[in-house]
Amino acid sequence: MATVEYRNIVKNFGAVEVLRGLSFQIEPETFTVLLGPSGCGKTTLLRLTAGLEIMTSGDVLIAGERVNDVHPRDRDIAMVFQNYALYPAMKVFDNIAFSLQVRKLSPDEIRRRVGEAAATLNITDYLDRYPKELSGGQRQRVAMGRAMVRDATVFLFDEPLSNLDAKLRAHMRVEIRQLHDRLGSTSIYVTHDQIEAMTMADEIVLMHDGEIEQIGTPDEVYDRPANRFVADFIGTPSMNFLSGEVVADNGSPAFRAENVQVSLPDSVPATSGRKITCGLRPADLSLSETGSINGKLILAEKTGADIHLHVAVGDRNIVAVVPRSANVAAGQTVRLAIDPAKVHLFDAVTQHRVN
Amino acid sequence: MVGPRYASTVRQIIAWLLVALFVFPIYHWVTVAFKTPKEIFDKPPNVWRFTPTVENFEQVFGISLGFGFGDVREVLPGGGNFYMAPRVWDSIVIAVFSTILAVTVATLASYALSRMRFRGQQHFVNWVLSTRMMPPVAVAIPMFFLFKNVGLLDTYTGLILVHSLMNLPLAVLLMKSFFDDIPKEIDESATIDGASRWLIFRRIILPMAKGGLAATAVLAFIFSWTEFLFVLTLSQGSIQTVPVASSTFVTSIGTAWGNMAALGTASMVPAFLFILLVQKHLVRGLTLGSLKQ
Ligand SMILES: Nc1ncnc2c1ncn2[C@@H]1O[C@H](COP(=O)(O)OP(=O)(O)O)[C@@H](O)[C@H]1O
Ligand SMILES: [Mg+2]
Repeated sequence: MATVEYRNIVKNFGAVEVLRGLSFQIEPETFTVLLGPSGCGKTTLLRLTAGLEIMTSGDVLIAGERVNDVHPRDRDIAMVFQNYALYPAMKVFDNIAFSLQVRKLSPDEIRRRVGEAAATLNITDYLDRYPKELSGGQRQRVAMGRAMVRDATVFLFDEPLSNLDAKLRAHMRVEIRQLHDRLGSTSIYVTHDQIEAMTMADEIVLMHDGEIEQIGTPDEVYDRPANRFVADFIGTPSMNFLSGEVVADNGSPAFRAENVQVSLPDSVPATSGRKITCGLRPADLSLSETGSINGKLILAEKTGADIHLHVAVGDRNIVAVVPRSANVAAGQTVRLAIDPAKVHLFDAVTQHRVN
Repeated sequence: MVGPRYASTVRQIIAWLLVALFVFPIYHWVTVAFKTPKEIFDKPPNVWRFTPTVENFEQVFGISLGFGFGDVREVLPGGGNFYMAPRVWDSIVIAVFSTILAVTVATLASYALSRMRFRGQQHFVNWVLSTRMMPPVAVAIPMFFLFKNVGLLDTYTGLILVHSLMNLPLAVLLMKSFFDDIPKEIDESATIDGASRWLIFRRIILPMAKGGLAATAVLAFIFSWTEFLFVLTLSQGSIQTVPVASSTFVTSIGTAWGNMAALGTASMVPAFLFILLVQKHLVRGLTLGSLKQ
């Protein structure tokens, strides 16, 4: 039930600038995902929030209060570490109970809370074991349990699912999100996995090289990426980019490149000759006799649910996702079409979104 | 062609030969303890067949083992004494307490060195290590005068302090390397859980470092158990550890080999017991289970 606010956060490790002046605010009870490639500073930002790292300049506010000088102990946060950091010399019960024991809660209350957390996480049978006797997934649950019993105002997660197998990961995504909804807490979740971000987040903060590229809901980030980096990072298979220019086609704007002509919405100024990068999501492309993107099919990849077409257009390869019913064979010429409203345009120089 | 089974047999034989090479001197020393003076000097040495006697032990420990009774307080030809039971006791007291002291101080110091950041930290670590590079003989004489002035000469306290001091540098570095292996996220997680530094150390880190504690304790104990120079210079007879006491069997008139071997053999027992005691903690993988695989 607390906001978390970052004001001009700068963090240098020696001469290395890791965070370059971040400012944003996290609303109470939201599930915010810090998303970005490895090394962009996500963990560092999380550690600053917890107070485990001292920032070079800037302020962190939790529930409106500046916490720069508040000890991690007193920030009322719970954190799940990337490597779990369980206490190996303690049984699972004590691992989960430790924070409560430190706070001198009554043994009955401790047993109740640990029991509850263990039941939710399905680890009741393992309370008597040592961490070394658990599987990776079970350890992950213990780490979650340790945070859960805390009743903290802010929960921090650092890539908690990154070492689990795909199936367990998908399962835990749902569980963590449900847990968040049940506890009604404010959660900040770090990941480099865009699927995790898209499926779990209320709000995504997309980071790159210590800066924020875009903040928005998963839909906003997907539908209106603020720049080429975001467009490239979100979505699988990733967006196709074509370099070309805007032309006026009978008075209405269009994008033109070699073998490509795509109509654009009328809102785009038809300034002829403007250099531009056009982004087309593979799923937005469709096979069409009247399509104005011409190419030669190099490979049709069947994934089961649909087919990924790799098409050579001019000197570029683009990918289109089409239904499995499509009747195509490698080597043939194909025509692809796209709804003008779904075209993403980026300035060729600044890479910022222009439509 | 050499088959794998043949190769493994050869390896085993070589291993056994090597073990025999290392164990034989100890075996020989032990047999000497059970021989009469005449048998000790048999030529060629009779390593396997002799009539065992416990006379040497009876003399050294002043107890009759039921096979005869010598005068246990018999004065050696050089004016010394055969009776060494108190010397073993001295050794145990000094080794045990200096080990406890060194390990305690080293553990606290090395945890701080491993976890806390302060100016000149690396210099401090180097300085700690450098104290061990100084040859003990260089400080033995100054230490003698120092001890004489403060009244520590010929006391348990003095020798315990010196042995702890000599053990500290290695103990600190050894323990530090164990603490360094424990990921700092474990401390951090406990901090966020609300624990104080001391509580984290006691409840979480120390139990993880048990293997390190055991290894450090063994090293410290063995150092003290075998140390010669400081005990020689800083004691004047009323306290004497086994190594120095052993040297008193060498007199101007002759050497009491049998008694010396008996004392040496007996002195292996406490060290051996101590190692057995801590051995089960000498396990690897101290972070087992804490982290993702
Ligand atoms: N303690 C540190 N000392 C020096 N550099 C660090 C330290 N921690 C992180 N970095 C650097 O800061 C950058 C961001 O790291 P991190 O926040 O862990 O990224 P992410 O979690 O997004 O993968 C990396 O280039 C990393 O090498
Ligand atoms: Mg990280």
